[in-house]
Amino acid sequence: MGLLSKKDAKLITDPLADNNPITIQVLGICSALAITAELKASIVMAISVLFVLGVGNVVISLMRNIIPSKIRIIVQLTVVAALVIIVDQVLKAFAYELSKTLSVFVGLIITNCIIMGRFEAFALGNGPWKSFLDGIGNALGYGVILIIVGFFRELLGSGTLLGFKVLGDPIEKTGLYAIGYENNGFMLLSPMALIVVGIIIWVQRSRNKELIED
Amino acid sequence: MSNKTDSNVYTILFAIGMVVVVGTLLAFTAASLKPNIAENVRLEKQQNILYAMGVNENDESSAVFVDKAQAPELFKQYITKQLVIQGDDISEDDEAYLIDIKKQKAIGKDDPSKRKLPLFVGEKDGKTYYVAPIYGKGLWDAIWGYVSMDENMVVQGAYFDHKGETPGLGANIKERFFMDDFIGEHLLGDNGTFKGIDVAKGNADPKNENKTDNEVDAIAGATITGNGVTAMIKSDLKLYKPYFDNLKNN
Amino acid sequence: MEHIELFFKSIFIDNMVFATFLGMCSYLAVSKKVSTAVGLGAAVIFVLAVTVPVNWLLDQYILQPGALKWLGAEYADYDLSFLSFIMFIATIATMVQLVEIVVEKFSPSLYNSLGIFLPLIAVNCAILGGSLFMQSREIETIGLAFNYGFSSGIGWFLAILAIAAIREKIRYSNVPAPLRGLGITFIITGLMAIGFMSFGGMLTGGDDEGKEETQTAKVEQVNENEDNKLAENTTTINE
Repeated sequence: MGLLSKKDAKLITDPLADNNPITIQVLGICSALAITAELKASIVMAISVLFVLGVGNVVISLMRNIIPSKIRIIVQLTVVAALVIIVDQVLKAFAYELSKTLSVFVGLIITNCIIMGRFEAFALGNGPWKSFLDGIGNALGYGVILIIVGFFRELLGSGTLLGFKVLGDPIEKTGLYAIGYENNGFMLLSPMALIVVGIIIWVQRSRNKELIED
Repeated sequence: MSNKTDSNVYTILFAIGMVVVVGTLLAFTAASLKPNIAENVRLEKQQNILYAMGVNENDESSAVFVDKAQAPELFKQYITKQLVIQGDDISEDDEAYLIDIKKQKAIGKDDPSKRKLPLFVGEKDGKTYYVAPIYGKGLWDAIWGYVSMDENMVVQGAYFDHKGETPGLGANIKERFFMDDFIGEHLLGDNGTFKGIDVAKGNADPKNENKTDNEVDAIAGATITGNGVTAMIKSDLKLYKPYFDNLKNN
Repeated sequence: MEHIELFFKSIFIDNMVFATFLGMCSYLAVSKKVSTAVGLGAAVIFVLAVTVPVNWLLDQYILQPGALKWLGAEYADYDLSFLSFIMFIATIATMVQLVEIVVEKFSPSLYNSLGIFLPLIAVNCAILGGSLFMQSREIETIGLAFNYGFSSGIGWFLAILAIAAIREKIRYSNVPAPLRGLGITFIITGLMAIGFMSFGGMLTGGDDEGKEETQTAKVEQVNENEDNKLAENTTTINE
């Protein structure tokens, strides 16, 4: 991290663990539940949020001195929505295939409270460069949890990873299925995402006792 | 926050300014990209129809369309007739594939005889395919597709797509393992009446070897999307039954 | 009949929190005490009941393809649906801030008990979700739109009330230290959601014939028996 001062580097590394947006700040839960049945979707969502949060934080930070406080929520939401819609339209025109994969995520990104949460908590009070780092850091922290949840749900739920049948074929009874293993279809249902996140919190807090709530 | 930004006048001016800026920006992007987007949508429809009748570049397990650049040419080559059925009238229309099914469905609700039903007649390797579009609702948003049939209303191929179903669950309706299950399924029951195809849970036939049971295996965890597929097949393809009856009688 | 069906469906079967997982963030963050949960829940009911019909009007008369017909035949071809997101969000944010200003002016005591939650509502994805579902499910009349918003709000209210009550009680239980607070809340919510799935059977019975299309569209998650077993677990937790 030669390019970044120690303080700046902390902006990126903090949200990865001790100040994770999902497990500590409780932001962006809805999308973490909706799209994690598959590892691929989790990765796509993580990348999209990385982009939107990075750029959005910079834009809001640049505007922070001219936004009237009374209508700041509208302004913030408008900025995210406009940003996402423009990107969506451009992709539709020039990279149609890609836009089809991403179209599902457009709504989820706009309503993702992690974005609003970081605008409100950080970008409104800090300069563009710091806001950018904060955005990237939080998006990465968010992505890490998404990918962990997606990994377990896809592996245990459908016995695949990124679509590859890593555990053998359930219908032909090869691999693990030959000795009687069955996929747990329950993992595919959204409530299980909540429980997986709960377990991640458990593991994280047992490793770092400072995070334990009373 | 300085006092300046708290005054009412400033707030209102800022709001107006923002509406104008964002509005222009969005309108400008939408307007300038519209032709490109429309062209992409047009080519995709051609690709979808061709896919349903088996003109595609599928490899072992993934669904691959014919190349975008070749789509119009292939479309001309394989699709011999584009029909529009409206009540008892049948006419030919070279742009039938652009008909908006959602709109027609709304029209059909008020007056079924006014609804335009597009049907694409294609020929491949000496065999005739009839491709019909379907449209319905999944869990979150719209789902649609194209189903190709032979003259006995036996499915020859199907393509499904969706706007926003859950990735990994409902979104899997556009995966090969689901779409290919439909191939060979009968839409008619034993006595020749229209029965449709159920996306059934707890199906006794997971490998889908029985093609006349009017059932395919559902996707685990995607009940509502599956029901949507069942519903759109039933409601939309049923309307083509009279056409196929006529075809047989003549 | 249609109204009653939609009412119960939105509260139990399509429950915003347990079936679609919308509005999770404020649900988890503001459910430590029953009293605050009630305040936020009431605010959500109100905002949903107002914004869904307003957005319904916007959708019908401005955004839908062909919606501008009332301006004259030459406008019939416009399709502004790409603006839905931004228009809906603008309505919601405006409503929320309007409510905030009005309440602050006329009833400072209510503002004090509710005030801090109001800005939170604008970022509650249940609200935008309500409007987007209203659009994609093609709700037909403004009455139904109001009903939908109102009853979805009640569903959300019930959910946050239930979890807040559980969290107040669970404080006296011996939960493993690292799970205390957020962790156990996640897990309980998951179990509650599994329990709520068993409501899915409610509207699937009855007549299959006749109104095939509407019927199938309404068929909701019918779940396997295992759900019921887990639903029992949830009830034990509720006790």
